[in-house]
Amino acid sequence: MNRVPDRNFDALVTPTRIHRSLYTDPALFELEMERIWGQSWIFIGHESQVPNPGDFFTTHVNHNIPVVMIRDKDGSVNVLHNRCGHKGAKVVEARSGTVRGALRCGYHGWSYRFDGSLLKIPNEKGYENTGFDPQSACYSMQRLAQVDSYRGFVFATLSSDAPPLQSWMGGAKDCFDNLCDRAPEGEVEVAGGVLRYEHECNWKFILENLNDTMHPMVVHESVVKAAEQYIATLPDDAVNERREAEIIPPFGASYEKFEDSGITGFDYGHHYDGGKTSIHADYSVDPEYHAAMIASYGEERTREIYAFNTHNVCFYPSLTIKCAVQNIRVIRPISVGRFIVETWSFRLKGAPDSMLQRTLLYSRLINSSMGMVGPDDLEVYRRTQEGLASPSNDWVEFHRQYGKDQQLPDRVVGGGTSDLDMRTQYRAWKAYMEGSIFSAKRSERASMGETQ
Amino acid sequence: MNQRQAVEDFLYHEASLLDRPDLDTWVSLFTEDGRYWMPAAEDQADPINHISHVYDDRVMMEIRRRNFVHPRASSKDWPVRCSHLIGNIRIHIDPSADSSAPDSGSATGDVLTVTSNQHVVVWYRDEQRVYAYRGTHRLLCMGNQFAIREKRVDLINPDAPQRSLIIYL
Repeated sequence: MNRVPDRNFDALVTPTRIHRSLYTDPALFELEMERIWGQSWIFIGHESQVPNPGDFFTTHVNHNIPVVMIRDKDGSVNVLHNRCGHKGAKVVEARSGTVRGALRCGYHGWSYRFDGSLLKIPNEKGYENTGFDPQSACYSMQRLAQVDSYRGFVFATLSSDAPPLQSWMGGAKDCFDNLCDRAPEGEVEVAGGVLRYEHECNWKFILENLNDTMHPMVVHESVVKAAEQYIATLPDDAVNERREAEIIPPFGASYEKFEDSGITGFDYGHHYDGGKTSIHADYSVDPEYHAAMIASYGEERTREIYAFNTHNVCFYPSLTIKCAVQNIRVIRPISVGRFIVETWSFRLKGAPDSMLQRTLLYSRLINSSMGMVGPDDLEVYRRTQEGLASPSNDWVEFHRQYGKDQQLPDRVVGGGTSDLDMRTQYRAWKAYMEGSIFSAKRSERASMGETQ
Repeated sequence: MNQRQAVEDFLYHEASLLDRPDLDTWVSLFTEDGRYWMPAAEDQADPINHISHVYDDRVMMEIRRRNFVHPRASSKDWPVRCSHLIGNIRIHIDPSADSSAPDSGSATGDVLTVTSNQHVVVWYRDEQRVYAYRGTHRLLCMGNQFAIREKRVDLINPDAPQRSLIIYL
């Protein structure tokens, strides 16, 4: 997809600055939907959401293109455009459920197999000798250009040029492995429902904030102080109260602590903070869970799994995961100034219920629209969205530790308070918007002698 | 005063504390083992194996009320005021209530379940919003004095995308 850029993206993105219109210009948002969300692999859902043939889950691949993830009779998981081949109506309306027999459009009754192929048109003889070809793909519910999954996480892309899913993930793939390896049975499943949280600001703010380690001690100072004040009132024997309250203070960890955790960036905009340690490293391990892990993996491998301790991992642009907490947040853009965050929690197969309960407690306290962390984050995003209307300065900067990023063969590493996560994202943003991201990487791979 | 009047007065009093809001006094209405629960799904049966918008015990209420007035809590820089309108109050005899059960806390007394419909207009961030919910109060009663063992808030749209909400409804 070698599009000629119709804008000068060099004038909008430099290695250390981006233009404020990236957050405020509706036309740029439409281009992002076409060139970033319309090309990148987008997270659709998890296979455990559709365990049996006919089970489905509907979502959007960008701000408005409706898709349905459905389990086929042969056990495979398909991601189809949710559009009838006839007049274009969405075929599946519910958020999730089970289809019996075949997908059927509620308008004129066209029906489709679970792989999207056209099964039957009512009163079909009206099409005889009209030139209509029922075998033509355009009269089916079409599959997205590429669909693949990794350890149960289903992605799809509208681009046939995107590299295979696993090479797109690059080294960040380790985080899916770590999340799943934290299950004694090596698999996770979606559990405990979803939180949907509306954000009245541009979708990129949350991705920038994930590994912005300079904000927690400022934005979350109040809840940390409130928790500390409360803990100070507790008598010595209030063990349970203290343990529960102590989930909060890590959000006010020091600059030094965050510096030590490090930040790593990858091709295509992916990045994480942590690795060796993170703000989640000091949470205590449930003894029953620990015993199950030892039984599955042995002592040494179990310690290795715990030791890979990332905080937030971003698979640009649609997904962020917390391996150590076993939840994910999915970004669903709506307009230049609005998006929805879905928080999904995961059960570690073979782990005691207490682990899922811990995950849900975390999601509730931190990611809920009524949490004590998320609303303060959203407040500063909204202030940024509103402040960027000011023409006093056209630029948003990210110079911190520029020049110190260490380039390794497949990744860039730097200090935990570096802005290298910003530089990583906006390098990818620019390459996607220029239409060059996959062709550039393809010629690079070819020159390194890799086969396609 | 008969029991119905006493229960209604208590619900109005509780709502008036949230309307102002005065969380310090509001939290003191709960028993030591009291809970505030806003499920994230229709007819949600389980508060700990399924996600909720909020499921606070006294520990979290104590942290929340301190955070609410903290000068560095940016989402609380905006004033929040509410207006609760309460109707359809019904008092149920709770067959599962057993005040001698070990989890009933230090206080003893009968437990009443009270359901109501509540419409709340919330003023926040220069905007008015409307919430509607079915409230279920489990009240520990000592004569005509009450303490809240659980307040459950079932929004009519629990699974919809929600906006930041910095106050209990």
